[in-house]
Amino acid sequence: MLQNILNRSRQVLYPVARTFGRSSNQGQAVSSESPSAVTAPLATKSPLILPQDYTDYAPVSRSTARQAWIENTDAVAERKIGLIELHPDVFAAQPRVDIIQENVEWQRKYRYVSMAHTKTRAEVRGGGRKPWPQKGGGRSRHGSLRSPMLKGGGVVHGPRSPTTHFYMLPFYKRVLGLTSTLSVKLAQDDLHIVENVDIPTGDAEFLKDLIAERNWGPSVLIVDEDHMFPANISQASDDLGYVNLMPSFGLNVYSMLKHDTLVLTVAAVKHLEQRLLYQLHRNDAASKGGKFKLDQV
Amino acid sequence: MAASGKLMLSSGLCQKLSQITRQLHMQPALLSSFRSSREVQDLDKYPNVEVVANPPEWRHVERLLPAETVPSPVEKPKYPSGWRPQRENGSETGYFVARTKNHMVPVYLHTRFRGQRRITVVRRVQGDIWSLEKDLRAVVEQSRNGKLCATRINELSGQIHFHGDHVDVLRDYLKEKGF
Repeated sequence: MLQNILNRSRQVLYPVARTFGRSSNQGQAVSSESPSAVTAPLATKSPLILPQDYTDYAPVSRSTARQAWIENTDAVAERKIGLIELHPDVFAAQPRVDIIQENVEWQRKYRYVSMAHTKTRAEVRGGGRKPWPQKGGGRSRHGSLRSPMLKGGGVVHGPRSPTTHFYMLPFYKRVLGLTSTLSVKLAQDDLHIVENVDIPTGDAEFLKDLIAERNWGPSVLIVDEDHMFPANISQASDDLGYVNLMPSFGLNVYSMLKHDTLVLTVAAVKHLEQRLLYQLHRNDAASKGGKFKLDQV
Repeated sequence: MAASGKLMLSSGLCQKLSQITRQLHMQPALLSSFRSSREVQDLDKYPNVEVVANPPEWRHVERLLPAETVPSPVEKPKYPSGWRPQRENGSETGYFVARTKNHMVPVYLHTRFRGQRRITVVRRVQGDIWSLEKDLRAVVEQSRNGKLCATRINELSGQIHFHGDHVDVLRDYLKEKGF
């Protein structure tokens, strides 16, 4: 199954093959994490090496750490700024396509209201009079011409509008949907990590060129931790229907699958890892089960 | 006669009064009311209080707060409960059974039809699930004196189902193997 998903990857289409190495020693190779490198400005040109910290959340499998390049956004040409180690529980989880499908179905349905409507025998106009006497006519007995057995009559058990299709997927299916989809996107080479989203101009051409140069897309979802995006990228992506911006708290399975390429900033990756790992390890997980109540947050 | 009656009444009243005062001292919250409490005065009427952020005494409060996530187990040579930490990483066997977030071996018993059907489920299997199923089935069949055991594999979700209740056998075997 994993092989099938990997076979569908777009590496054939994208000749710029990026390597996601499997490091068995889990960050011991890049043991010297300098805190200055994280905050260093671009001018220092020191590579941004971000090893994973496993002290809080040990991975379930020690053999599948993922590494990804950090790319730049200050120019059209691609430059590798550094390397980030991604937590295997979030970015190398088992690709549960069944749970991904359940998430997509849920996201389609919870906002869908069916407006299909039919009239019952009481709502169809007329039909209040007994059409012919009960006995003596040689015909079958009827009390109304709008009876559902007659032509032009009401409909029995027809659709009644508005019918909501709202329901809540169990909490941990939503969590697993996110980790599965992120893992699938990474395995299919459709997940890119950028340093930030500070592009130099607000020109849409720059963004178009950048996407074409790096073989992203056609549609691109750009995710940052902050919900206030910088002015330039907001302006540049405003008229491009296929480039969308999203804060990391709004990341969802449907949007990830709707867009071909998912672009995460380093801050968004850290935020997603922190939130998802907390949900996977929290002590009071049972409190997230149970019936969904309308007044819960 | 009348005087003695008055005396008795007064003694009874005295008793009741002393009861109330005692109650007031023993359980002040029982008789308190927000109307009886003193009104808020100006701030300068109160003694000066220094507001400290992150005081050293706060650790005594933190000790009482429940842990947000499951802590990693303390390393010991032997655990009295029989629990063992995971040793194997699956590089040699080709398969790997991950622990749960509570550091337990993920072997469970599912009962259906009022306990008539018992299915043992091994979850969180990674890697070569087919060879793990072969190994585990051999263990189960050996414990049943060679009688066959029906199994089912769900490779997508990493689960193996065994017909019957073999939770203890499988859990002990997996722990022994280091998973």
